[in-house]
Amino acid sequence: MPAAVRAAKVYKVFGKRAERAVKDLEAGATREEVRAYGATAAVIDVSFDVEPGEIFVVMGLSGSGKSTLIRMLNGLLVPTSGTVEVDGTDITRLKPAQLRQMRSQKVSMVFQHFALFPHRNVLENTAYGLEVRGVPVDERQHRAAQALELVGLKGWERNLPEQLSGGMRQRVGLARALAADTPIVLMDEAFSALDPLIRRDMQTQLLELQSELGKTIVFITHDLNEAMRLGDRVGVLRDGRAVQIGTAEEILNDPANDYVAQFVEDVDRTRVLTASSVMAAPIPVVGAEAGPRAALRTLRENQTSVAFVLRRDRRLVGVVHEKTIGPAVRTGQKSLDGLVDTDVQRVSPDTSVADLFAPAAESSVPLAVVDDAGRLRGVIPRVTLLAALAGNGNGNGAETADAGHDAAAAEPADTSRTEPDTAEPADTAEPAEDADASDRPAAGADPAETPAEDPADPPPDTGPAPPDAAGEERHGGQGAAR
Amino acid sequence: MNAFTAIGDWFANALAWVLGRSETPPRIPIGTWFEQGIDALRERGGAFFDLVGGFIAWVVDLLAALFHQPPATALAVGGAAVIAAAMLRTRRRAALITAAAVVALFVLEALTGVLNTLISTGGIPSFFFLWAMALFQVDFVFPPLIIALLALAAFAVLAALPGGGRRPRVVAACAVAAVLLAYGLVWLVGVPVPLLVTALFAVLAWRVAGWRLALFTVLGFLLIIAMNMWAGAMDSLALVLVASTIAVVIAVPIGIAAAYNDGVSRVVRPVLDLMQTMPAFVYLIPAVSFFSIGAVPGVIATIIFAMPPGVRLTELGIRQVDPELVEAGEAFGAPPGQILARIQFPLALSTVMAGVNQVIMLSLSMVVIAGMVGAGGLGSDVYEGVTRLQLPQGFEGGVAVVILAIFLDRLTAAVSRRSATTAARQGAEA
Ligand SMILES: Nc1ncnc2c1ncn2[C@@H]1O[C@H](COP(=O)(O)OP(=O)(O)OP(=O)(O)O)[C@@H](O)[C@H]1O
Ligand SMILES: [Mg+2]
Repeated sequence: MPAAVRAAKVYKVFGKRAERAVKDLEAGATREEVRAYGATAAVIDVSFDVEPGEIFVVMGLSGSGKSTLIRMLNGLLVPTSGTVEVDGTDITRLKPAQLRQMRSQKVSMVFQHFALFPHRNVLENTAYGLEVRGVPVDERQHRAAQALELVGLKGWERNLPEQLSGGMRQRVGLARALAADTPIVLMDEAFSALDPLIRRDMQTQLLELQSELGKTIVFITHDLNEAMRLGDRVGVLRDGRAVQIGTAEEILNDPANDYVAQFVEDVDRTRVLTASSVMAAPIPVVGAEAGPRAALRTLRENQTSVAFVLRRDRRLVGVVHEKTIGPAVRTGQKSLDGLVDTDVQRVSPDTSVADLFAPAAESSVPLAVVDDAGRLRGVIPRVTLLAALAGNGNGNGAETADAGHDAAAAEPADTSRTEPDTAEPADTAEPAEDADASDRPAAGADPAETPAEDPADPPPDTGPAPPDAAGEERHGGQGAAR
Repeated sequence: MNAFTAIGDWFANALAWVLGRSETPPRIPIGTWFEQGIDALRERGGAFFDLVGGFIAWVVDLLAALFHQPPATALAVGGAAVIAAAMLRTRRRAALITAAAVVALFVLEALTGVLNTLISTGGIPSFFFLWAMALFQVDFVFPPLIIALLALAAFAVLAALPGGGRRPRVVAACAVAAVLLAYGLVWLVGVPVPLLVTALFAVLAWRVAGWRLALFTVLGFLLIIAMNMWAGAMDSLALVLVASTIAVVIAVPIGIAAAYNDGVSRVVRPVLDLMQTMPAFVYLIPAVSFFSIGAVPGVIATIIFAMPPGVRLTELGIRQVDPELVEAGEAFGAPPGQILARIQFPLALSTVMAGVNQVIMLSLSMVVIAGMVGAGGLGSDVYEGVTRLQLPQGFEGGVAVVILAIFLDRLTAAVSRRSATTAARQGAEA
């Protein structure tokens, strides 16, 4: 299957001596150098593939060439050099009629400044793509009305664009592209004029739509959080060049250079990072077949008070606590039967960090990251969560793993504290403050979400995990998560 | 050979003049060249110009007659046209078929005189038209009138059929009533036509621009009647309407082409400047040489003189349309013609209408000048006043021109203002 959209070594230079500018840029000239003789290099040597059904986000500061790039993807602008392919056809070679055909059948677009027709009402604007395609009036109006309902503009069909607010106009532009019902949608800052609530709503709807209909979406945005939330992959443009293309996590955790790093500085990491990217290696583990004596030795060696108990196939059984192991060893018990605490919070590797706070709050031991088959993939001590929030949350680092032990050692957690304030996470990464800090962010999390978010199959010998009653009082500000 | 010696002589003369050996400067006779060009054109395209001239003369006469003493046929056709226009929205197909049938009948009659023979041979029972002959006090039957009345009746019936919507029905009733009322007033009661026409214009002004202009229209046109300038004013009005219509029809496509293509724009702009700044009298000379004396050279000269703002404002209007809207059309795969017709032109319409307004005003200003070549109308009155030093006649002609100008200006300005919103409102209705 060919890529839905592919750009290969695309250049777009406006102004004088464009061809020469491309040659110079290829030879290593900078944007400023070609600028000197009147050429504006808007897009420089950008290559990427967008797979069918993918959301590809292009991100960059104002003037970095995002709009120029997206306009080349449907042939509104012709690249100065390089090729753009849609479904395997090179659109730079199409005849005008074929290009029109391609646009009306395959690619629709949402414009940054809406580009609504002021002399047509909302319904006619929305039906425009179908009108061009020659769909009969009744059908296209019906479908346009559906699209308008989808974006929450039912009842505004007969109004003119000038009678709508900016956000409403933007949604009409969105409905116009959706009504055209093309497999590929190009969206140039499609949500930029929406208020945060509607924006979130539209993002969710877009994600739903995309998973239902499998549309391929190229999405442009200034907003990093939006990029990270929507994008299967994200491309960062700077001064016309693609400085990094990768998944949201790659960009967050492994910025290609300082520019990207600065860019991602203020992103709400908790919504982007997932459990798998912040988890630490589950170091104190005990085989389920081992005896209490072996378990106690493991705990001592690792200087922790709890250890995870696994079967041979790494499926998680539960945890053992030092305080129950100690007496068992003294009484000479031979197996761990009855000593394993199965009340462990399990989360799946894909759970976003924002959704980890609630289970973390309810659990006195680190969270267990468990895959679909019930195997333990890693653990998340509370301090790791805080580190992720603070921005240096690279879960594989030894530092956080160590910190994790300390956090686990500090127990029992004081679950009676219910201060609603959210702590400054930046300074809580210090191990000394762990016990105090670790339950604070939890105060802002919503425990009600936990069961739904936990897809792990409980192993047969673990009991049902009772939700912690102490969490009841802790409904905080972060209720909108997902 | 000859040309070479001529050019050689010219340079020799030029040199002599520069060196002070000769009194006469070297002459560049572009006027003669222009005349030669015109003559060549006249020789090649004589038939074409005759055709164009004939057509223009016919239209001007028809319009003028309408305003003076409207033929019963024209009234009936007008009524039918109004109903047909109202039906275009809801019953396009039926309206178009009927219209085609009516036109076919007219053509058939004009070519073969079929109806005439039918009537004179008794093919149609005489009671169908005897009453009409009595009413119009004529002693022969005018076949086109019959066709026109048939058309009016056909459209009225079509509009009245159920399922066509309320609007066409109301329009049809009004149109039929108006035609019958006019027949009655003119031929039964004997009301003077100028009064009726004034009333008609007043209604138009009221609908388009409001009661102030309607009031002005009534007073102004009554003044024209009272100055005994009615005939001249209506001739001039016909001239202006024909000239500006043709000018707009030519100007808009050129304006569109200029908006699309910078090259065309660069070529057209100086030509327009020339057309507008060249003293208007100058056009009269070739116009007369093409079409001889009369209304036609007046119309032609008027067209040339009045066209530039039409082109300019069309170009401006189209270029002013937000390029992102055009891009939006392209992004959804619309072909260029559709983008022009459904996006650019509707959005440029109010600017284009401002151009039409200027075209009409310039046409009117040309009317007096056209009087010099016997175009008739107020121009002739004023021109006579000037040449014979008859101040009263000249002044009264001038006042009539001013009244016409104000009427036309306010009317078209109102249309222009409204077209900015009507396009939108139509969108909202559909
Ligand atoms: N038609 C044009 N002619 C000349 N230069 C242009 C043209 N269009 C864009 N540019 C230049 O290309 C560069 C990139 O512009 P572009 O519109 O792609 O930026 P952007 O990333 O979409 O910015 P924003 O976030 O503000 O929309 C800018 O420097 C701009 O000046
Ligand atoms: Mg942009």
